[in-house]
Amino acid sequence: MSGKDWGIAIVLLIIGLLIGYLAVGPGRTTTTTVTRTSVKTVTVTQTAGAPPPKTTTKTAPPKKYADTIVIGVTDKVSDLDPANAYDFYTWEVFNNIGEGPFKYKPGTTELVKGIIEDYQVQEGGKVYILKLRKDLKFADGTPCTAKDLKWSIDRVARIQGDPAWFVLDFVNKTEVIDDHTLKIVLKQPIAFYPAVLAVPTYFPIPPSKYPADKISSDNTAGSVGPYKITKWVRDQVLVLETNPYYYGEKPKTPKVVIKFYKDATTLRLALESGEIDVAWRTLNPTDIKDLMKKPNIQVIEGKGSFIRYIVFNTKIKPFDNKKVRQALAAALDRKAIAERVFLGTVDPLYSLVPMGMWSHVDAFKEKYGEANVELAKKLLKEAGYSESNKLKVELWYTPSHYGDTEADVAALIKEAWEKTGMVEVTVKSAEWSTYLELTRKGQLPVTLYGWYPDYIDPDDYLYPFLHTGSNRWLGEPYSNPKLDKILEQAQVSLDHNKREQLYKQAQEILAEDAPIVPIFQGKLYVAAKKNVHGIVLDPIMLLRYFLIYKETGS
Amino acid sequence: MSLRAYVITRILMTIPMILILLTLVFLVMRVLPGNPVIAIVGMKASPQYIKKLEHQLGLDKPLWLQYVDYLGNLLRGDLGRSMIWGKRPVIQEIMDHFPATLELTIGGFLVSVILGLATGMVAGIRSGGKLDASMRIYSITVYSLFIPLLGMMLQLVFGVWLHLLPVGGRIDPGLEPPAITGLYVLDSLLALKLDSLTSALAHLVLPSFTLGLVLSGIYTRLVRSSLMEVLGQDFIRACKARGLPGRAILFRHALKNALIPILTMMGLQFALLLAGAVLTETTFSWPGMGTFLVERITYRDFTTIQGSIVFYALFVALVSLVVDLVYAYVDPRIRY
Repeated sequence: MSGKDWGIAIVLLIIGLLIGYLAVGPGRTTTTTVTRTSVKTVTVTQTAGAPPPKTTTKTAPPKKYADTIVIGVTDKVSDLDPANAYDFYTWEVFNNIGEGPFKYKPGTTELVKGIIEDYQVQEGGKVYILKLRKDLKFADGTPCTAKDLKWSIDRVARIQGDPAWFVLDFVNKTEVIDDHTLKIVLKQPIAFYPAVLAVPTYFPIPPSKYPADKISSDNTAGSVGPYKITKWVRDQVLVLETNPYYYGEKPKTPKVVIKFYKDATTLRLALESGEIDVAWRTLNPTDIKDLMKKPNIQVIEGKGSFIRYIVFNTKIKPFDNKKVRQALAAALDRKAIAERVFLGTVDPLYSLVPMGMWSHVDAFKEKYGEANVELAKKLLKEAGYSESNKLKVELWYTPSHYGDTEADVAALIKEAWEKTGMVEVTVKSAEWSTYLELTRKGQLPVTLYGWYPDYIDPDDYLYPFLHTGSNRWLGEPYSNPKLDKILEQAQVSLDHNKREQLYKQAQEILAEDAPIVPIFQGKLYVAAKKNVHGIVLDPIMLLRYFLIYKETGS
Repeated sequence: MSLRAYVITRILMTIPMILILLTLVFLVMRVLPGNPVIAIVGMKASPQYIKKLEHQLGLDKPLWLQYVDYLGNLLRGDLGRSMIWGKRPVIQEIMDHFPATLELTIGGFLVSVILGLATGMVAGIRSGGKLDASMRIYSITVYSLFIPLLGMMLQLVFGVWLHLLPVGGRIDPGLEPPAITGLYVLDSLLALKLDSLTSALAHLVLPSFTLGLVLSGIYTRLVRSSLMEVLGQDFIRACKARGLPGRAILFRHALKNALIPILTMMGLQFALLLAGAVLTETTFSWPGMGTFLVERITYRDFTTIQGSIVFYALFVALVSLVVDLVYAYVDPRIRY
């Protein structure tokens, strides 16, 4: 066979394969883009497990709304047991398949009653009497009573998994008063306890489906929420379908398919190719900007409540010197980071309490301004540094936890600090687990971290960072008895105005001492096809799949 | 040495190999800072809670005792349980991810061998000509392609623009065939599920082609040089003198002889690919061993990493044994 023959043979083979593929592909007889996209949707609808609903037949007139929505994420579901699940994405799934005594009104940070009809707070906030709805049922149709809720909460305490502190730190005991009434006695009054009662750790789960004292990580029995899990292949796909026993309004879309991607760019391409309807967490800033220009795609922006910050370990020299920390806080150029690294997809932040949350004050901006090199120089001089005797800073970051942008964030912090001419920064990095361990041991002088809230309250943004002993995970970098007292008072006070004053005071002290310096607050972005509606983004940061729907046939 | 004795010796040789590998991995993982408990517990976890988890996982025991325990379990065929998320049995984790890797390996391998053999043969037969030069340029060009970039371009063209092929994943949700081997293409065939087969093949095309195209460059050069060497030998001239047709000379005599060094390369490459083509897997969200292991190394999931290493060592030993046996088939001069 000559070279030419071979060439022809290869071309023929490729063409043959392509034709073969096109010929056997289901419904791939037409060639327009629009038709293919719609065919793809049908493929998913027809084959995602269950037979089509009885009310739907192939000859039925075109529906207004799609039966299935496909959502793509780069996150992962870690553990389908509320006693051990403690990460944001898994909690999002739980918020779609379950519900706690309290929940957030979509689009707000307002707490409303969830699986309870009514509740009473007694003994100055120490006792909660929860009256459960009488029509509450698990996804398998069995009734959910106060006994089940007690069993679920006690189980969390018994198993002592990662989120067990939500129960162990607060609850003294639980008592069933009758079939629909549960009494929770706290160790002491907690001002924000209703917010704690909204976390998945307090969701009721069916005792017949979960082992009493063991973690059941791959359990798909679900809870009492709008959806139930019908399929789960770890790291690949999660399928949710309407829970027919949910007491509330039925989900707008009967079936939600969640596809797990490993790469943010692939996630974006999957949206563009029509494989998914919604691209959720987490798209790259460049992809978000690009998608905003696409005619068939909508990008929805929302307020986020996750924050990023710099931690100075005040036990390590020279960061034990307040003036050094203040100087570095003053020189920080948050706007440059927000605009150059994140292309405006994050907002500069001047307090640990995020913007939009009650009690927030721009404490750092008021005290230091923004990228205030002159003030930084003055403070550095006072601390004994000069152009010839530079302050040496070892700045650590981790490349394996906060995304590809982290190295750039560190580079811009270095750039801002070195603009003073009196600081020399060495940037170092370590893998996530190494980074965490070295930080916890108090060996890293300056580190970059991020925080997703456990519950929506200023307490969650201040106490774990600044209260003595609570910041062990940061290597106990800071302790201030005066601040401890303020935070403790704010935690137990039931007077909202008093709490607000206390938290404002705490933020002033934080800015003055500057052991932790806020950098930015993230925004939320969802990109979706233009015909997808009902996406609600709020600072709770959990996407409610049951509100989303897709128009078809219009 | 008989063939049986050879095979037994080879199998016995894998035991010290695995032991050395395992010991190294065991020590390196534990010497490095970072442990699985700290990597996964919430930031608010108390030191007592961390200690409790370390105790549960046996991480508070002396190193030698952990090692002895692990070897003991291994001898009983127990690879242990993962130390993080879900704490699932390691063997189950491997079985969940390995078939995906094997499927991609076979796909990428076939593409690379077919393209490499075809281009290499063209170059070898037409050595010195324009075709040869083109094939050599092809070889260098494809080998220097960066997988994520090539992958992304293919995703853009075939996924976004032409809507012909999916950009990520192994199969459309809901179309998974009944699990028999874990290889979706094969399982779909066995279950006679045409829609599953189509979907699995469609998902396999882009990652296999990306991986295969890049690797085919090596074969082009190898086949070319090997073939040129064989074509210049006396027995080929003798064949020609006896009036054998060119095609018979090439396929029956020249290629068979030229294949020996290529087989070695194939064996090595197949084994290498089994460890997971991390870049390809990431680009195409392919749920294989490569990305899985990288993630588990980041989180210091000791047992999963150790278990996967043992599994791989066994598999690679098996592949290299098969390659050695194939030598004997291809080249009758080789006897064991």
